[in-house]
Amino acid sequence: MGDLNVIAIVMVIIVTTFTVGMAILVRRFTRTTADFYLAGRKVGTFANASAISGDYLSAASFLGVAAAVYASGLDGVWFAAGFAGGFIVVVLFIASALRRFGEYTIADFAYGRFRSDRIRLVTVFMVLLTSLFYMAPQMYGAGTTWTVLVGAGIFGLSPYNTGVLIVAGIIMFYVFVGGMKATTLNQIFQFWWLWTAMFLVCVLVFVAGNFNYPRDLAEVTAEEHLDVRTVSVAQLTEVDPETGQALIDEVREYMSERGLEPVEAAIETGDPGATVGITVPSTNRLHTLRDMWFNEPGHRYNALDQFSMVLALVLGTAGLPHILNRYYTNPSGQAARRSTFWVLVFIGTFYILAPIAGLAGRLLIDDAWRAGAAPDNVNYVDGLLARSDTLMPTLAQILGGEWLMGAVAAGAFAAMFSTTGGLLIASASAVGHDVYEKYINPDAPEIKRVIMAKASVLFFSLVALGIGLGIPAAGLDRAYPALIAMMVTWAFSLGAGAFVPMLLTGIWWRQTTERGAIAGMIVGGGGSLFFIFMNVMNQLGHFGDEGLLPLLGSLTFPTVFTFPAAVLTIVIVSKIDGQLPKNVDEIWMRIHGTASERHDKELGLDKSGGVFSSGQK
Amino acid sequence: MASSAEEKVIRTRSGIQVQHGNHIDTIESVDLVFRAQRKLSFSFAAVFFIVTLSIPVMTVWWEPWYGVPIWGGFTANYLVVSLLYYVFLWGLSFTYIKKADALDERLSHMADEIAAETAVEPIGGE
Repeated sequence: MGDLNVIAIVMVIIVTTFTVGMAILVRRFTRTTADFYLAGRKVGTFANASAISGDYLSAASFLGVAAAVYASGLDGVWFAAGFAGGFIVVVLFIASALRRFGEYTIADFAYGRFRSDRIRLVTVFMVLLTSLFYMAPQMYGAGTTWTVLVGAGIFGLSPYNTGVLIVAGIIMFYVFVGGMKATTLNQIFQFWWLWTAMFLVCVLVFVAGNFNYPRDLAEVTAEEHLDVRTVSVAQLTEVDPETGQALIDEVREYMSERGLEPVEAAIETGDPGATVGITVPSTNRLHTLRDMWFNEPGHRYNALDQFSMVLALVLGTAGLPHILNRYYTNPSGQAARRSTFWVLVFIGTFYILAPIAGLAGRLLIDDAWRAGAAPDNVNYVDGLLARSDTLMPTLAQILGGEWLMGAVAAGAFAAMFSTTGGLLIASASAVGHDVYEKYINPDAPEIKRVIMAKASVLFFSLVALGIGLGIPAAGLDRAYPALIAMMVTWAFSLGAGAFVPMLLTGIWWRQTTERGAIAGMIVGGGGSLFFIFMNVMNQLGHFGDEGLLPLLGSLTFPTVFTFPAAVLTIVIVSKIDGQLPKNVDEIWMRIHGTASERHDKELGLDKSGGVFSSGQK
Repeated sequence: MASSAEEKVIRTRSGIQVQHGNHIDTIESVDLVFRAQRKLSFSFAAVFFIVTLSIPVMTVWWEPWYGVPIWGGFTANYLVVSLLYYVFLWGLSFTYIKKADALDERLSHMADEIAAETAVEPIGGE
């Protein structure tokens, strides 16, 4: 192991030590379930905005967005814009109403709004599914980042499994010990760490890389966009009877002499099953008659997916349970709105920087590779990264050496810690609070409730660990070139289908009934699951090329169908059903009434308190 | 519960009232707040979705938007999605929050007035 890896490990250890130390420090302030789940509802605007940003910026944002831009150009830039745009829906429709309604969780909201145990249990099920979908890419990111940055396993485990195990273990420990207060403080710290790491990379892109945004974008666009593909020797050498040419003949025309060396070596082995990386011109899936350029749309998404992707990203944020949970930690509805504005500023600046890193990587990594100065701990195909998810650490290493690479490595782990911590709290509160405290043992003393919450954290940490270890075995990493961003978008699609229609109609349409809401959640959530499953099966090659199945499996983002279908279902079923809760006036007054906030404002109680204090105000 | 003060739900002959300290919500005052907030939120949402969805519309159907560089390598499409869209998001959210805060302030006085006019003697409480 070289110095580079040692520095990276040391910096990750610093972040981890701080994370664990913070959990131990706030442990004595976590006495009640309100402390454990909601940090005592006293988190201030700046702190909550930072924590929401830390919760939100996962491995998909820190590693995945720049990587998606690197691999897909403009289609990748949409991940950044869409992730940010989602908070507009939150601030316009959800934030202050959710906070005014109070309670602990999204399932509490569903129960409180519709006065039904049935809808609470359906919501709990959907919360767990969405959280697991979101945890999966974090765990996968942990394994792949560890593989790239450390490259070694412990106790005989592979580097990938070691990364998953270590990250799951650390998160389990600090959420278990410190609950939402520790998670909040860590998310604040982790957000600013990874924002700074992204900022430093981009500063060095401009200073050391002599970057000029419009000029360099033109330079990347001067040549047709290329993809990295892994093919077998048999595929390379098979002659097309119509043209009389093999793929290798085409490849020899545009790959460099040095880039061709491993390709020719693989052919020389004579093993038809041997695989090797090649670069091939990308096809334009949107404007099929045009060539594919970096600054044009169509690398990943056809016309339907262009709309569906935008809808999934901007609607999905309002359906992420771990983000919505954070709104209950604001001291007032007004503070909830202000937190959201600052979130938009924080993550917006981050998302402006990430595509710069992706574009700069396209030039600087290629330059470094051709100069023989590229880091040797990642794989290249003719100057392109074999796996785009390794872009950030590789670019950091080229620009700032081992220290910047260490900062980026620590940032990557910070992103996984903060998001998975929030997801564990959301999952634990769904089971510990929504099921145990409401149905299994409603009279449980406070100490038993906290123990149940911690047991839930332990259980879901183990589930996350299992998912992380299982992803490569299922072959998903081979089916999707940018798996981290893809899996996160599945969680967005599920949230957008299952929760957002229920929340929007529950808050803004008084006639929404319990049956309508449940039907909408089943149609939206179930429809999303169906299309995601079909897409996975299609990508894994189980459906062939023709017929209904590959057509159904071709839709990457289901939201363009599932969201309107869910809203329509809620409206139609509610109209037919017509059975509003008996106390619907009282419920409506809790969602939109302001007497509580007027009272708090009069007494100056709408101000946030310190996180280092105990008890609910 | 959301409130720091104990919530009192008071049933009257004409409906219910919710009381926090000296402040009361009646169904009339809440209806006023709801309608004003709905108008504000849905107006801003219309602007947000029109702007946001017009981007893929132009991306699919208008070549000068996606295929013609206007500043170095920037097409209008790339420039908007990578930079200008954030300025739009910040401006929209800032304006909305200012308006929502002002609306809250204005409505809080009106809600107290309406509640004072419409609040009636309770016939029972919980």
